[in-house]
Amino acid sequence: MKDLTRKKIDSATIITGAIVIAVLLASFIAEQFMPATSMLFTVLKKSATYALVAVSMNLLNGFTGIFSLGQAGFMLLGAYTYGIFTIPVAERMNVYQYYNGGLVQFVVPWYVAMLLAGLVAAFFAFLIGLPVLRLKSDYLAIASLGFAEIIRALFQWDKLGPITNGSNMLRLFPSFNDFNIRNASGEVVVYLDTLVPLLITTLCVGIIVLLINSTFGRALKAIRDDEIAAEAMGIRLASHKRLAFCVSSFFAGVGGAMLAMYQATVQANGFTTIMTYEILLIVVIGGIGSVTGSCLSAFLFVAASEWWLRFLDQKQMLGNFEVPLLRNGFRRVVFSIIIMVVVLFFRRGIMGTKELPDLIRGFKNRRRKEAASK
Amino acid sequence: MSENVLHIDHLTMRFGGVVAVNDLSMDINRGEIVALIGPNGAGKTTAFNMVTGVYQPTEGKISLEGRDITGMRPDEITKLGVARTFQNIRLFSSMTVFDNVLTAHHLRRTSNFLTATFRLNLAEEKKMRQESEALLKEVGLWELKDEMATSLPYGKQRLLEIARALATQPRLLLLDEPAAGMNPQETEELGAFIKEIKDKFHLTVFLIEHHMNLVMDISDRIYVIDFGKQISEGTPAEVQDDPAVIAAYLGVDEEEESNGEVGA
Repeated sequence: MKDLTRKKIDSATIITGAIVIAVLLASFIAEQFMPATSMLFTVLKKSATYALVAVSMNLLNGFTGIFSLGQAGFMLLGAYTYGIFTIPVAERMNVYQYYNGGLVQFVVPWYVAMLLAGLVAAFFAFLIGLPVLRLKSDYLAIASLGFAEIIRALFQWDKLGPITNGSNMLRLFPSFNDFNIRNASGEVVVYLDTLVPLLITTLCVGIIVLLINSTFGRALKAIRDDEIAAEAMGIRLASHKRLAFCVSSFFAGVGGAMLAMYQATVQANGFTTIMTYEILLIVVIGGIGSVTGSCLSAFLFVAASEWWLRFLDQKQMLGNFEVPLLRNGFRRVVFSIIIMVVVLFFRRGIMGTKELPDLIRGFKNRRRKEAASK
Repeated sequence: MSENVLHIDHLTMRFGGVVAVNDLSMDINRGEIVALIGPNGAGKTTAFNMVTGVYQPTEGKISLEGRDITGMRPDEITKLGVARTFQNIRLFSSMTVFDNVLTAHHLRRTSNFLTATFRLNLAEEKKMRQESEALLKEVGLWELKDEMATSLPYGKQRLLEIARALATQPRLLLLDEPAAGMNPQETEELGAFIKEIKDKFHLTVFLIEHHMNLVMDISDRIYVIDFGKQISEGTPAEVQDDPAVIAAYLGVDEEEESNGEVGA
C-alpha cells in the first residue's frame, strides 16, 4: 500500500525536475553558440517574465478563486521600485533631468531591488486588499482593474516626479544584458542574459508551487471549491484571501522588475489594461489552475505573437506567386484566430488543471496497462 | 454529570418580515444525542446556521461550554470545537477523499505560510497525514482515498463529510440531515455509525433529521419546532405521543378542532 503519511517524491516529480534543468541547460548552451540577436532569446526572456506573472495570477484566479485584474498595476509598482533603486547615482542627473537628479541618491544591488519590488507590490496589495477583497467575483475584478489604472495615472503625476520621474521614462538601470560576463575589452565571454531570467522565474515559480502544495495551498483550494465549507472547517477566509493576494502581487512585482530589465526602460504608460489581459489570456489558454499550463502558454503566446507569425507582416513570395493578404498587421488577425480556435478546442486550456508530473504519471500508467494486456 | 455543552437562549432570527426562528431555547449536555425535528421550513437549518456562525441571530444568545459565541465567525466557532455537515453536501470538489480530510486539519496548524512553503513544518505535515489516514480507516473510506470526493456514491459522500468534520476534532458535532437520500438499510447503518463515533470521539451530537426511525432510534432527547417556534421537547417516547407534534406533522382535522373549540 502506498505510504501517504509522507508526501512522496515520486519518479514523476524527479523527471519533471530533470526536464526543467534540461531546458535551463539547453538555453545556456544555445546562448553561447547561437547569435545573441536571435529571436529565440528575446522570446525566452519575455516569456520568462510573462510566465512568472501568469503563474502569480493563476495562484489568485486558479487556485484561490479570486478574480483579480490588477496585475499590470502590481507589475508597474515592481518595475518602478526596481528602476528607482538601481539607476547608478552618476546617471541620475541624466535620467531625472527635469527633477534635478531626483530624490533617491543611492543604489542597491539588483537582487535586493528585485526583492524590494516584490515587497512594495505586496504592501500595496495588503492595503488595497482591505477593502477590495470584501467584494466578490466581477466586482473584485472591476475594483482591482480600477486600482491598476489609478496607479498608472499616479506614477505619471508631475508632483511625484522627484521619485517616479513623472511621465518620463526611467532608464540606464541594469538590464538582462548586464548579466553577461565580459572581459577587460568589453567583449562578452559568457552569455547569461537568457539563463538568469529563466533561473529567476524557475526559483519564483518553484516557491509558488511549494506554497500551492502546502497546507496553506490546500486551504486556498478549499476556499475556491466552497467558501462556506472552508469556513466551517475553520479556515479564516479573510486572512487566507489576503495571503493569496499579497503573495500573488509579490511575484507580479518581481515580474514587473524583470520586465523592466527586459525592456531596459520603464514608463508607466506601458502598463496598460491590455497587459493584464495578455496575462489573463496566457492563464486561460494554459489552463486555470495549472502552473505548467501557464508557463507553457506564456512561451507559446510570446513566441507566436512576436516571432513565429512575424512572416505574416511582410510580403511573401512562393515562387512567382505573391501570397495574398499578407501585410503589416495581418499577424494580429491570424493570432486572434489561433486564440479563438485554441479556446474552442481546449475548453479548459491546454493543460486543464493538470501539471507536468500528472502527465508523466498518466503516461506511465498507460504503458503499464499496455504491458499488462500483452 | 450532565455538563452543559450548548446553551441556546431565546434565539430569534428574522429575515426581513419573515421570522425563521422564534424565541428558541435549548440545552444540550455532554455525551447526548439531541435531535431537532420539524416540518419542512420550520427553521431547523437556520438554527444550525446561527449556532455555527453563518447567520448572526437577530436576538438571543448562544453559549458553548459556558462561553458566549454569539456573533463569532464560523471559523472561530469551529476552532472552539464545533463541526458540522451540510444538508446539501459541500465537499471540496477538486480534491481527493484524502485531501478533503487533510484540509480539515489546517485549523490546528502551528506553521505560518512561510514555514509551510519552505517545508519547515514536516513534522506537523506528517502528523496531519497520519491522523487523516487513521480517520479514513476508522470510517471505512481508506480504500477510496485517491478517488475524487465528488465521484463517490451519495452515501459515501455523506460519510466523508462526517469524516472531514471529525478531522477538525470537535466536541460538538452538528449533522444536518445526514440520512437524506439514503435507503432504509443505509439509514440503519448510519444510526449505528453515529452512536459509534459519538463514543469513540467523545462527542456530543446535535442533528436535524427527517427519517423518524433514525431519530427515534438514536436520540436521547428531541426538540420539535414548527414555524420557528418550539412546540415540544422530551424523550423520543414523550415526543411521539405529544398531540402538538402529531398536529404539526399530520395537520389537525378541522372538524375536530372546531369541536374542541365548542367543547372548550
